[in-house]
Amino acid sequence: MKATLEAINRMRTEGVIGKYAIGGAVGATFYLEPSATLDIDIFVSLKTMPGSVLITVAPVYTYLISHGYKTEGEYIVIEGWPVQFLSPGDALTEEALEQAIETEVEGVRTWVMTAEHLVAIALKTGRPKDYARLLQFIETGILVTNRLESILSRHGLLEKWEQFGHRFLGDEK
Amino acid sequence: MRRVLEGKRQMRKQIATLPFSEKIKILEKLRDRSLVIASNPLRRRLSHRG
Repeated sequence: MKATLEAINRMRTEGVIGKYAIGGAVGATFYLEPSATLDIDIFVSLKTMPGSVLITVAPVYTYLISHGYKTEGEYIVIEGWPVQFLSPGDALTEEALEQAIETEVEGVRTWVMTAEHLVAIALKTGRPKDYARLLQFIETGILVTNRLESILSRHGLLEKWEQFGHRFLGDEK
Repeated sequence: MRRVLEGKRQMRKQIATLPFSEKIKILEKLRDRSLVIASNPLRRRLSHRG
């Protein structure tokens, strides 16, 4: 993955992408024990195309294909890892990208979403695997309650959080 | 049984505290194993049956 991140960092240096943050299962691995995943979710800030108001990941794919990387469905395989580039689709992911924390993988600089943002995004997405990850986050005890509640409140997810508590943690009203 | 579960929980906690680079190496091994399992002809045959 080191080489994958180096390639993504080169895109950043060359201005193809702006700030980026690792989300999904790989992002969660920063905080939790690793769990098997086949791809990397990269949330990335993109520029609008000239003469268009639409934000698209097309320039990312054009750049990578011109550098010899191959696509596989919605993924592009960079140094052996299928990577999905995602443009923040809502205020929550925009904020998660903005507040991502800097870290490194084998000496390569990179950015990972905060635990609280990963939890909020998982809650919003709401697939069974997202709920399983939420429970893992809760079990580790690393979540900062004030920070999480503030995010959930800002993005209208408090009710969903309460429902999650009732369903999976047996919380009483 | 409770001791076994507690032991597992402790081990998972310990792994979670490893440096990110170390955890990425584990992730890579897990991924390689998943790909080997997925490419097993028997598994492919079973998944075709739905």
